[in-house]
Amino acid sequence: MTNSSLAASTAFSPVDELVGMARTERIASGRRADDPIVLENLAKTYPDGTEAVRGISFRVAPGESFGILGPNGAGKSTTMGMLGTLVKPTGGHARVAGFDVVAEPVEVRRRIGFAMQQAGVDDFATPAELMLLQGRLHGLRKHEARARADLLVQVMGLEDEAGRRLATLSGGTRRRVDLAASLVHLPPVLFLDEPTEGLDPRSRSGIWNTLDHLRSRLGVTLALTTHYMDEGDRLCERIAIIDRGVVVADGAPAVLKASVGGNASLEDVYLHYTGRTFENTRSAA
Amino acid sequence: MTSTAQVLLLAQRALVQFPRNPILLGFSVMPVLIMYLVFGGLFQGVAELPGFPTHNYFEYLAPTAILLATVPGIGNAGVALAADLQTGYFHKLLTTPTSVSAVMLGRLLGDCLRLAVQAALVLLLAIALGAHVATGVPGALLMIAMGTLLGIVTFGVISANLAIRTRDAAAVQAIQPMAFLLIFLTSAYQSTDHIDSAVLRTIIDLNPAEHVLRPMRELMLSGYDWGDIGIGFLVIAGLGVLLLPLTARNYRSAYS
Repeated sequence: MTNSSLAASTAFSPVDELVGMARTERIASGRRADDPIVLENLAKTYPDGTEAVRGISFRVAPGESFGILGPNGAGKSTTMGMLGTLVKPTGGHARVAGFDVVAEPVEVRRRIGFAMQQAGVDDFATPAELMLLQGRLHGLRKHEARARADLLVQVMGLEDEAGRRLATLSGGTRRRVDLAASLVHLPPVLFLDEPTEGLDPRSRSGIWNTLDHLRSRLGVTLALTTHYMDEGDRLCERIAIIDRGVVVADGAPAVLKASVGGNASLEDVYLHYTGRTFENTRSAA
Repeated sequence: MTSTAQVLLLAQRALVQFPRNPILLGFSVMPVLIMYLVFGGLFQGVAELPGFPTHNYFEYLAPTAILLATVPGIGNAGVALAADLQTGYFHKLLTTPTSVSAVMLGRLLGDCLRLAVQAALVLLLAIALGAHVATGVPGALLMIAMGTLLGIVTFGVISANLAIRTRDAAAVQAIQPMAFLLIFLTSAYQSTDHIDSAVLRTIIDLNPAEHVLRPMRELMLSGYDWGDIGIGFLVIAGLGVLLLPLTARNYRSAYS
């Protein structure tokens, strides 16, 4: 979906209805947190001895769009997994929406949406069924889940695909469905792990526009991982550059670039803080 | 939402999948029906042996056919689990307030209902071939329940663990023939009184499947032997208590 079509649909649009629902949800969402995402020396060492994450700390403010940027194997997905309660940390602490990811994983899950690096969808289901089930598992009543799924189908421009089996849909469409399913319970915090990995430029641009629009309208706090510099630049108000399991730089893209000087790009920032070019690191990984 | 409600929702998801995969439905029930017809016809003479518990071999073979439908058939739950792990959908479900156990049990329950229908088809075929269920409909339902539960706690658990470790549907499918061994090493085709080999009789006695098949056959041929039925359910419960927590531990060690 393009920005113009989204803008055209905002006179009284499905997004407006979702915004109204989201406001009501937030009022009833329980514990308030100053910062919805807080990491303190978070670490993960796998049983085989691999130190995937070696003491990461950062905070993400309410409504902020935060990116974790780094090459494959840097520890981004493990960090996301820990924040999404899918991976158990071996050190440090993390709180999401005010709840500890280890001690209160169910409370965390109630308040997050999570779209995986690999679009996690059921090939035998239709997008509408997938969203309905996701909503029901989040405790929504059937009619509520169905109504939200219908709205998200419109917001994501999935009207033509809503009744088709996911196995028959393209990679970009499956990503949009996965994203929609992550939003059906209108979470205050959204995690996206490599949201446009493997997509063509047009599909990437479509997802960026949709994310921008939804985030600004729904007030969702967004944390995403990416190894695309342009994606970090385009979507994130602040980024952390992660290398070999540690954060080597953290700040607004413009500030980070200015710290290197001249007309620096994020690639230059990466080179500056790690001593290696991003492309070399990617191919080594 | 309670865990039970989550399990039911996920079972419903599995049930919706089956009609969309007619190959699975067809190929999981047809071989059993064909084997039943072929073996029943081939070994009809066995029923003429002195002391054999029935004169209709199809009657003797019906509980075996139920196990042939349920035990290897539950392997599909493992295949589906591997597919969910491969596509990332399993972990997508875990980002909701749903437990690993609920996701796995939902899948198993959905498959159980499918297998129960398939086992009922086998029994209907047996009845069409002149077999008679001595304990009527309640006994038939009990037979199907025992066969399905044995499938879960044996091959269901094995295939789920393999799925967790490999995330490979093909690998899970590859071990499906092993399920037949579990059944063949019982009195599935011949009563133990008529088996000469003492070694084979010992193996059969040690096979947990035999202790479930025996009361099933009694339900088919003679009546309710509550002692044997109790032993059958104890074997199922014992395997469940032993193996289901191992599956949860295996998942935790593999993914967290």
